[in-house]
This record gives sequence, structure tokens and C-alpha cells, in this order.
Amino acid sequence: MCDPPTSMVAQAVQVENLRKRYGDVQALDGLSFEVRPDEIFGLVGPNGAGKTTTLRTLATLLNKDDGAVTVAGHDVSDDPDAVRRAIRYLPEDAGAYESMSGRQFLAFVADFYADGNEAAAMVERGVEIADLGDRIDDDTGGYSRGMTRKLLIGSALMTDPNLAILDEPTSGLDVQNSKTVREVVKAFPDEERSILLSSHDMLEVEYLCDRVGLLNDGVVVSSGSPAELKAEYDAENLEDVFLEVVA
Amino acid sequence: MRPFTRLVWKEARELLRPRYILPILLLPLLFVGMGQGFSGVEAQLGQEPTVGVVDRDGGEYAQVVVGTLENESNLAYRSPDGTVDAALNETAAAGGSAVVEIPANFTERVRAGERGRIHLYTSVESVSIVGIASSAQVEELLSTAAHNVTVAVTGASEAQLDPIAREHTTYVKGRQLSAPPGVVSTAFTSQFIFVPVIIMLAIVFSGQMVMNSMASEKEHKTLETLLTMPIERRSIVAAKLVGGSVVGLIATALYTSGIAVSNLSIGEVGGTTALTLGAGDYLLVGVSLFFTLVGTLAVALSLGIFADSQQGAQMLLLPLSGLAIVPMFATMFTDVDVLGLPARAVLFAIPFTHPIIAPKRLLFDDADLVLAGIGYEILFALAAVWFAVKLFGSDRPITGNAGWLDRLVRLVQQ
Repeated sequence: MCDPPTSMVAQAVQVENLRKRYGDVQALDGLSFEVRPDEIFGLVGPNGAGKTTTLRTLATLLNKDDGAVTVAGHDVSDDPDAVRRAIRYLPEDAGAYESMSGRQFLAFVADFYADGNEAAAMVERGVEIADLGDRIDDDTGGYSRGMTRKLLIGSALMTDPNLAILDEPTSGLDVQNSKTVREVVKAFPDEERSILLSSHDMLEVEYLCDRVGLLNDGVVVSSGSPAELKAEYDAENLEDVFLEVVA
Repeated sequence: MRPFTRLVWKEARELLRPRYILPILLLPLLFVGMGQGFSGVEAQLGQEPTVGVVDRDGGEYAQVVVGTLENESNLAYRSPDGTVDAALNETAAAGGSAVVEIPANFTERVRAGERGRIHLYTSVESVSIVGIASSAQVEELLSTAAHNVTVAVTGASEAQLDPIAREHTTYVKGRQLSAPPGVVSTAFTSQFIFVPVIIMLAIVFSGQMVMNSMASEKEHKTLETLLTMPIERRSIVAAKLVGGSVVGLIATALYTSGIAVSNLSIGEVGGTTALTLGAGDYLLVGVSLFFTLVGTLAVALSLGIFADSQQGAQMLLLPLSGLAIVPMFATMFTDVDVLGLPARAVLFAIPFTHPIIAPKRLLFDDADLVLAGIGYEILFALAAVWFAVKLFGSDRPITGNAGWLDRLVRLVQQ
């Protein structure tokens, strides 16, 4: 993908000098990056680097201490409701309401974004992405972790968000389902839709992401396309780049 | 379905799952079972006792005793010279447990102006309310026999034996009642145990439901998804309050029905019909309870933010339940007016006190304090809801970190 000048496009995400502290721990220490329209941006880093804090801040779950963060043109602090309308967030360890069937859960989510036929179409899209067959009408309490994950992927992408924030999207999935989900994620971005994902699976990141931000100690230490990063660090794959950066 | 309605529906569905609702359904059934058990005891105690008598005297006054037993009880065994063991066995076979033995010199001693001696043998097989209460029934029988012997010896009339007829007028806070103080006290106890218990149950159940709602979101990892939905945080707070209180009030209604059916607290009390509440009074009690519930549920929701599981929620509910129990007992065993200023200040500061004392206040036309209490509860509810909305807008639902408050909550949970 050709990189247009940053200033000429409205970014899906713009993060500048983001800081966040938990007590004595400086989780984010001047983090900056952007996610462009029509791209999948991967945020990778070791445990405790600040990935989840970053994703949660973008999803309006956490308040920032300092810095500027906009999502789909809306400031996360000044207009959190507009940000929520523009995004869908899939946490790493998420569940569904046990009293609902998979289809009812999708309908529950769809009701927040559309009415009537539009909501029904959204649910059907979610059913298709989740690909759970007849089990979609079973209570989610009986789902395996992988089935729940597929349902949540379906619920996250069915609403056509401007930005889908996916934390470890294939966590808990077997090889076959991981591949299916990766294909769905890969096909998702367009001019109005982007994906920001976090993953510890460097092969997955290399396969899915147009650009990657390497996060360490609360700052992005390097970013670029997988090819650029491999060239910069003279590495064969993204895993080696990661190890080089963390070291 | 609109998002808010969908949220309320979701809350109700989650809280009506068997794990939450079964314990609530089982306890009222237990109350009903207990009530039927007590009804059985009452029915048993309402019947004439079955006794046996060994009359070794056979004289005039012994005949009076035996005659009383014949009239007032089911006399299963009668013998002039049987052994006590045989008498007890035969009486027990007929369903009784007591044998009265009248010694040979009974009539002679009474004639001589001495106290006649009677020996009562009781076999208590059941160490229970029934077993002990049935012994008391036989004691009453012997008191009646003693009364009849007195009449037979002296020839006195009933009026001579009990020459003073009493009429009672009792003034309760200026209200005149034609009943002895003991009866008035019983009436108050019966009426005002029931009302505080119901109010306490409503507070505890609704609080528990709202806390369960938050704990369930955390336990099933749905909170982050919910909080990123395009709906304002105050709507999420409101949906949780409405959903939790609906289920909580259903639970309260079930308990109230269970208690009413079991007849554990409501008794018929004579002479106090002047002490009843009007429709307007009940409305004020309802308004008072409503605002207390709103405030309490908001506090429960805030506490629920710190609960990481169902068990954690149960522990956090304890202080709230304790606060609800204090005014309940204070109202049951004393009058707030007679307490010292510090104790009264503490009680009035507890929001639950106001709906609990409201019925008693309204009974004596003291609506001003009830209205002041409602004003206080409105302020409490507004503050509690504001605090809950602020908490939902902060990092705390996600991080659970609340500084010193967090440390205090952890201490309670441990």
C-alpha cells in the first residue's frame, strides 16, 4: 500500500503523546501513532508494554492522563459517545451473556446501532461471520471458548464500524477457525473501515497488518510495514524484529 | 426494541437465571412450610388435652377434680387403684402424656383447711414447642380444677372470687385507646415487626440483585463490551437500577407473600382498630421507600463495581444489610423519640430509617418528619446516582482501582 502524507488524510486513529499512569507505574509514556483508513494496524509488544491500556483508551474505557487521541475524527475525552458509535471493541478475554442465545446476543448488540430491517440484516451478517451453524440458536452459556470468540468476532464486525479494535482476535481458536477469522479480518478494511489489532502471534501480525507499531515501555519504538521493519532491523521475520526491539 | 429497553430486558434476563432466582424462590416456600408447621402446632394446642387419672381418694373434692378433667379434657384412663406406669401407658396409647394421681387423703386435707396434694406425672417424648406446650395445657386444667374445688369448699360466686372488673384507657402519644397497655404493645409489635422486615427485605434483595448484575458482568467478561456500546453511561446505570430493582421487588413480593401465608408476624389484635393507616399514609410510605431504594441501589451498584465475583458481591452487601438491620431493630424494640440525641442522629443519618419509621409516625399524624425524611432520601438518592454515574465514567469499572476506597473494599472482601 502506498503511504500518502499523513496530513492529507483524515486518520482513523490519531494518537499523540499519550500518557497514562496507574499509581507508581507509568503504563503509557508519550505514545504516538496513527491508523489510516483502509488499513490494518498491528500493535505489538511484550507483556506490560501498554498495548491493552492503549486499546482501552481508544475504546473510551480508560481516561487518558495527557496527550491527544482522536478516533474517526472524534476526541475520546470530549466526545466519547461519538467514538463509541464509530468503533467496535473486542477485548482479549471477553464473554457473552449466558442467558442469551448466540443470535439473541447479536440482536442485542445490533439494537444499539440500527433499527428494524437494518438491524435484522446486521444480525444475519453477524451469524454469517460467526459461522456457528445451528449452535447460533443455543444459549451462549454452553459455548466453548472458541465458539464464544467466533460469536464476538461476528458481533464486532457486523456493525460495519469505522474502526474495529481487536485484542488478540484469534485467541482460543483452533487452527482452522483461526484461519477463517484471519480471512474475515483481512477482508474487512475499506475506505471507511480500519482495524487496529494487538497480537502476540507475530506470524499472524505479519500476515494481516499493513503497518505495525512496536510498543515497549509505553512508547512506540518503531513503526512501519512488516517489510520496512524487517529491512530496518535486518531480520528474516517480524518475530526477530520484535526480539531485537525488546532486547 | 430501544437500546435502553433492551438493556433493562437484558438485566432482568440475566438476574432471572436459576442461580440467582432459585434461592429466592426456595426461601418463601420454606416460610410457607414453617407457617403450616406452626398452624399444625396451633391446631394441636387448640384441642382438648388427653389425660389419665388415678383417684385413690374417691371423696367429695376428688370428685370435683375428676369432674373437671371429664369436662375439660379427653379422659383416656380412670382408675381408683391402678399403677402410675399402667395409667401412663394407657393414656399414651390414647394420644395423651399426663396422668393426675389424687392421693387417698386429698378430701380430708381440704376439709381440714389444708392444701390438698395432687401428683401430676407427665411423659415428655417430644422436646419441642408441642411437647412443652401440651404440659402447660394440663397445668391449666389443674388450675381450673383448683378453682372448682374452691367454689365447692366455700360456696362463693364467681363475682366473689374475682370481685374487681377492670376497664382500661391507654393514652399513646395523646391518642386515647380502650385497651390495656399490654394489648396495645402487642398490636404495635405485630404491626411494626412486619413493615420493617418487608422494607429491609426490599432493600437487601434489590441491593443484592444490582450487585449480582455487576459481578456477573465482570465474571463473564461482558463489562468491557457493554461499556463500549454507543449508549451513555448514565443509561447503563439507569438500566441496571431499573432491572435490578424490578427483580428485587419481585423477590420482595414473593417473600412478603411467603411471610403473610406463613402468618409468622401478622396477628389479630383487638382494641386497636383506631390505629390504622389511610391511603395517603401508605402513599407517603411508598414514596419514602422508593427514594430509599433508588439511593440504595445506586450505592449497591457502586459497590458492585469493586466486586470481582458473586462471592465478592455477597461480602460487599454485608455492610449495606447491616445498615438496613440497625433501624429495623431500633424500631422494633424502642421508639426513636426516647433515644438520646447522638443515637437519634445516627439513626436519622441512615437513609433506611426513614421508610421504616414512617408508618409509626403517620399513625400519630406526625407527617412533617416523614416529609423531611423524604427530602433527605431524595438528596441521598441524587448523590448516590451521581456517584454511580461518575464511577462508571471513570477507570474504576475496568481497573477496579479506587485508591483508599479500593483498599477498604479489599479489606471487607477478605
